[in-house]
Amino acid sequence: MSEIAGRLGLAGGGRTWLRWAIPAVLVIVLYIVPQLGGSGSFRLGEYEEVLSFLIIAVALNIAMGYGGQYILGITAVFAVGAYGAILAAKYHPHGIGLVAMCIIGGVVGAVGGLIIGLPALRVGGFYLALVSLFAALAIPTVAQQWGLVGADTGIPLYAVAGFAPEINGEGLYIIVVSLVLLATLFSWALVHSRVGHRFVALHTSPQLATSIGIRAYRTQLLAILIASIMAGIAGGIYVYTQQFFAPGSSSVQFAILLLAGMTIGGMGTIIGPLIGSVIILGINQFFTSFQQYNGIVFGVLLLAFAVFLPNGLMARLNVLGDRLGIRPRAPSLTSGPSAALAAAPAASVAPPATPGTVTTGKPAATLPPWPPVIGAGDSGALVVDGAKRSFGGVTAVDHVDLTLARGQVHGLIGSNGSGKTTLLNLISRFYTLDEGQIRIGSTRLDNQPPHSVARSGIARTFQSPKLMLRETALENVIPAVELRVRCSGPESILRLPRGIRVNRQARDEALEILESLGLHHVLSQPAAALPHGTRRMVELARAIALRPSFILLDEPAAGLSPVELDLVTEVCQNLARSGVGVLLIEHNVPMVLSIADTVTCLHQGRILFQGTPAELRSDTTVASVFLGIDEPLEASS
Amino acid sequence: MTLFLTALFAGLAVGSVYGLIALSYTVVFNSTAIFNVAQGDLMMAGVLVSYFCLDRWHLPQIVTLLVIVAVVVAISLVEERVAVRPFVARPVVGLGWFIATLAFSLIIETVASIIYGQNPVVPIPGALGNGTVSVAGVHVATKFILAFVVMIVVMVALELFYKRTWLGTAMRGVAEDREVAALRGIDALRISRLAFIIAGLVTALAAFVVAPIVSADVTVGLTYGLKGFIALAAGGFGSLRGCVIGGLLLGVAEQMFDLYISSNYEILAGLILVLIVLAVRPAGLFGTRAVRQV
Repeated sequence: MSEIAGRLGLAGGGRTWLRWAIPAVLVIVLYIVPQLGGSGSFRLGEYEEVLSFLIIAVALNIAMGYGGQYILGITAVFAVGAYGAILAAKYHPHGIGLVAMCIIGGVVGAVGGLIIGLPALRVGGFYLALVSLFAALAIPTVAQQWGLVGADTGIPLYAVAGFAPEINGEGLYIIVVSLVLLATLFSWALVHSRVGHRFVALHTSPQLATSIGIRAYRTQLLAILIASIMAGIAGGIYVYTQQFFAPGSSSVQFAILLLAGMTIGGMGTIIGPLIGSVIILGINQFFTSFQQYNGIVFGVLLLAFAVFLPNGLMARLNVLGDRLGIRPRAPSLTSGPSAALAAAPAASVAPPATPGTVTTGKPAATLPPWPPVIGAGDSGALVVDGAKRSFGGVTAVDHVDLTLARGQVHGLIGSNGSGKTTLLNLISRFYTLDEGQIRIGSTRLDNQPPHSVARSGIARTFQSPKLMLRETALENVIPAVELRVRCSGPESILRLPRGIRVNRQARDEALEILESLGLHHVLSQPAAALPHGTRRMVELARAIALRPSFILLDEPAAGLSPVELDLVTEVCQNLARSGVGVLLIEHNVPMVLSIADTVTCLHQGRILFQGTPAELRSDTTVASVFLGIDEPLEASS
Repeated sequence: MTLFLTALFAGLAVGSVYGLIALSYTVVFNSTAIFNVAQGDLMMAGVLVSYFCLDRWHLPQIVTLLVIVAVVVAISLVEERVAVRPFVARPVVGLGWFIATLAFSLIIETVASIIYGQNPVVPIPGALGNGTVSVAGVHVATKFILAFVVMIVVMVALELFYKRTWLGTAMRGVAEDREVAALRGIDALRISRLAFIIAGLVTALAAFVVAPIVSADVTVGLTYGLKGFIALAAGGFGSLRGCVIGGLLLGVAEQMFDLYISSNYEILAGLILVLIVLAVRPAGLFGTRAVRQV
């Protein structure tokens, strides 16, 4: 374990302990706030109000910062959770305690989140943001008129006879701070679990996520559900500490304040949203004389951050930390080529692996076998039968038949626009077939959802590599391993014994595959900092990590150096030797001919040729279409 | 029956305003792939202008309309420059533009309420006076009829513009594929600016017709903006007719909710409508596009 830590650059770096300094200071400050800023019961109540909002910020960060689900109107969920808790307390004969309020808030919040999320997710994107914002507007508006929840004046618990909170004063403050820390710790554990890996993969690219078997809708819903439960619990805590809830406690403006805090602090970092929210809510709560103009201040801040610093203050701090060698790596980068440039200097100052370990980019002398694990029970071939697909008036794939046998390399060649990638996307179920069938043996794939393709044992790469740019090379491969080394989400998040074992197993296997491809030196570097060829190799490693029965490679050799090209060739052969069926789309025809058992040549969506490389060399049609000559390839070369 | 018809006509009038906002969303989205959350607050800025022009300064209606157009289009262009262009110019990653336009709407709303100050909400005179016309036996306010007519005219004009003119076609093409558009000599940034001018015009017209209906209440921008979105979602993304039908549907649904269920909870009508539409037909009634790609 320490050896791995060393290779990841986690150990040894003299000042890396400093990265714990900020959280540690924050924790201490949180606990002693009453000593610093006065501990009258009114003041404590105000602090506790802000603290319960921090839990909503943590919840929103899980859904939005990591899961990419913009449930901006999460304050609606907070409000229904709070109303649930306060009504239960009011009508229960003896009143209820903090724990019961949190449970009721969480359950009611979950229901609220699902009512918003289930329909809105069917469209996705900003629909969820707007539908949830509308809910955040509607809930207080309805509550203002509704006698049951106290209408405009709300429900005060302190007026309910015979009800007294059993915890109060500084004791309650300490408990609430601890709950905030617990929520934060939970978000850390979640993000660094298989569930969090799935969130980030899906946030990065739905196609990427689908290609490693992640169920998109279910994962998005889970992100919303977790956030909603936490927001509902925050509602319970709010009610217990404030002994009061009214429509004004959760206006739609409050949702925008939360968003401002998140954006300014840094979405997608663990403590960024906490820092941002403390700044924003602090200004809003304690500088009330200025309140009329707050909207302008917050609006300008939010706009400036969205445009100039979309990753927030924490991203800045992280970059600073990298410069000073405090942090071992540079996460928090936006995607895109400019981000890669920005990351390059940061990556170059990352501490090299400890002396003694291999630091060169040389792959293992002989590649280990990668026998299929997923779909290995079957022995059937991957069969494309009469596939047809049109876009508008263009038939991109026209009645194509193709059989990919296990243990064989099948080359797919053809000019640009001949339908190669479309065929691949049809197999991956990113497009639906107009006609025809796709099956493994006798099991049909074309009527199953896209994520089941990977789960049936078909891995793929993309023409332009799709990687999680903020994550390291290692973290990019781990989610693929996690599709086949199974344990439940809670086991992984809560680090139960099986969760720990499986988390470690996934990490070790990912490490092994990356190392065998000669990527030891980039394990702990963010993908954004990697050159193009290396990104391709990391993506290849991710596809192999599924341990599939079939692998579809979309131009894996494009833009590679000669050394890398040799390695890809060797990888394809090794996969075939291990019993994997390899579908190889390539423009590098000599490479294809040197390793393919069968070659299919597409032209304008149709099959122009199908046969062995030797037959292709002596075929006249292919030569005449591509070279305009009437002799076979063999004679012309 | 009279009650029903009165509610129906009121619904069509308010629905026309939702429809106009939905149309302005569509104009911007067609050319920038950005959903401008601030559209509702832009409209409220126009309502504020019409309060000053008509109630304070007693300017003629036509001058008021011109001033509204000038102000709304100007703010719209400022927004395009500071909150939208940074996201059009670079590849769109995530929903940063959503945050930026939401921030801009917060700024407009705060500035508007500071300018308006503590004044009580006052009624604003309509362009056709405060008279009524008898339709099917009920009295319909002329301000309601004006709203409906303006929306229909705007929709038809936009449809002709997109179908018949080269520029219209170009403006639809840019959001679909910016690179191809660039290859054909279409400048994405100019198109984006143009889209905000047109959307500003539509929004200004919406402000002009809505001012007599909502009076000088400048705080409801976000509400109207979100209801415009519901009109869009119900009608179907990308369809101009869908915007109109969705707007009218929402407006009428709200009035019917008031009449038969409870006017206190009117806002629930919109929430229920959007949740049902998304659950049953996610692409909306007239949706043609694969909305998931949106």
